[in-house]
Amino acid sequence: MAERLNLEAVSYSYPLPGREEAPALVDVDLDVEPGEVLCVAGPNGSGKSTLAQVCAGLLSPGSGSIRYAGEDVEGRAGLRELRRRVGLLFQSPEDQIFADTVERDIAFGPRNHGLSGAGLKERVREAAAMAGLPLDEILEKSPFLLSEGEKRRVALAGVLALNPEVLLLDEPFIGLDFEGRQHLSSSLERYRDERGASIMIVTHDLSHAWPLIDRFAIISEGRLHCVEDRAGMVSGGTGLAELGMQLPQWGILAGELLERGVPLDDPADPGCLAAAMASYREARHGR
Amino acid sequence: MERNIGTEDILLSDLSFNYPGQSSPALDGVNLRFERGKFQAVLGRNGSGKSTLARCLNALLVPSAGKVVSCGLDTSLAENSLEIRKNLAMVFQNPDTQMVGTTVEEEVAFGPENLGLPQTDIRRRVDGALAMAGISELAKRQPLRLSQGQKQLVAIAGALAMEPAFLVSDESTSMLDHRSRSRILDLFLGLTKNGVGIIHVTHFLEEAALADTVAVLDGGRLAAEGTPAEVLCEPLRVRAMGMDPLPVTVVAGELARLGHPHPGPVLTVRELLSWLSA
Repeated sequence: MAERLNLEAVSYSYPLPGREEAPALVDVDLDVEPGEVLCVAGPNGSGKSTLAQVCAGLLSPGSGSIRYAGEDVEGRAGLRELRRRVGLLFQSPEDQIFADTVERDIAFGPRNHGLSGAGLKERVREAAAMAGLPLDEILEKSPFLLSEGEKRRVALAGVLALNPEVLLLDEPFIGLDFEGRQHLSSSLERYRDERGASIMIVTHDLSHAWPLIDRFAIISEGRLHCVEDRAGMVSGGTGLAELGMQLPQWGILAGELLERGVPLDDPADPGCLAAAMASYREARHGR
Repeated sequence: MERNIGTEDILLSDLSFNYPGQSSPALDGVNLRFERGKFQAVLGRNGSGKSTLARCLNALLVPSAGKVVSCGLDTSLAENSLEIRKNLAMVFQNPDTQMVGTTVEEEVAFGPENLGLPQTDIRRRVDGALAMAGISELAKRQPLRLSQGQKQLVAIAGALAMEPAFLVSDESTSMLDHRSRSRILDLFLGLTKNGVGIIHVTHFLEEAALADTVAVLDGGRLAAEGTPAEVLCEPLRVRAMGMDPLPVTVVAGELARLGHPHPGPVLTVRELLSWLSA
């Protein structure tokens, strides 16, 4: 079960030798609620990946504070504990797979946490199944000989094998095709539902995970621009265009309909959008 | 060098390609024509053969069977490869794989320098390419210190500095945010007006919807070919080819299912909204 992850006035700057520090995050306040799917979205270079690394305990904020389950994350021990609870899937699977077989790769994390024997084997199989890997075909293979999509699943299984309470994914949909994205979305939903985990998806593209997201945190130039649910995102006024971002076609259509006074229950549901359009047209013109 | 005058297209005839050790071909009997001055999208699920096709166009890969004739030059003849690559520049998904320079302008100058051009020409090409890509202000920066989106713009500027007849983009926009992506797509559309042929391999149907023609590969074969309206408007068919249908096409289908007149081949929100008042 996840607990609340809470960032208060978090700032982070990358040290540049001989130059002024480059601020990547400035005064960011953010709550990740237990069991929610939160999308951290922003243009290229907005600080999203830095925020992900701060949330995962890989970078320590220059100022501000992080709390998990109400406890301050302080010092090395605090970061270590945060890293135990928050699992980070990097953008490129090559950054986190390295063992000579898929099984050993997935087992690496839990083994380091002291798991062994049958318990370890079970954990690996569970994680592989959750990530959608065909167990018997693949566990003895080298992860480096797999397709890009399969490598991603191995990397995801490696993170899931640590049973993270908060699962954080950095641009997980880049390079995946429709089936790959569907597959990943359903793995994430299943992990959240079965474990009560929170999920944070960091992305520059709002279309990939649109139906899956509970709330969107929009970040720009290192600052938190707004936090909205899907309805809030389509209702206009978020200033996305000024940030160089765009809603997915679903959202643009929903926004246009709302603007015409057409009520919508769920802007992500095609049936709902079609029904709303039909009743609008009927009201105006008859059928 | 043998060259057929007047053939400015890229012509794929029964193109097949097998990777060594793979039982099924990556490309299997593909016939396609790419033309200068057109924006042409190549779509398909992962593993469908899109990137293999892109690499066959400029002789990075040579057909196992069939033929690719690129601007009149047969790609299977080793002596043609340099000339072919002058005509046809490539940009890949991950810009890190093609960065060599220590500054952005050096990076962009790399290709023209290899052509042995005079310094003044190189300067002109580099400045022009940086301006077209909208990154003149990054000229003195270190490429590896830029964001992914900026790096991709550098890679595209590098390709443009070659002043190619064709630009092949292998998912070059997939890491870019909306603003950078729009800029690249506008740039591609503008280049077609100057006679450059754009071959854009992509997962994004919204980008393919802007193209003059769309080709869809599936299992190494050509599964569909035509205008975006012909190829992309039926959600079931699009899904069967392993792609995410455009939301407006799904909503249009739902409207028909609810017993309303089908809005017809719509690709954009504006087209679908016109149904409201039709």
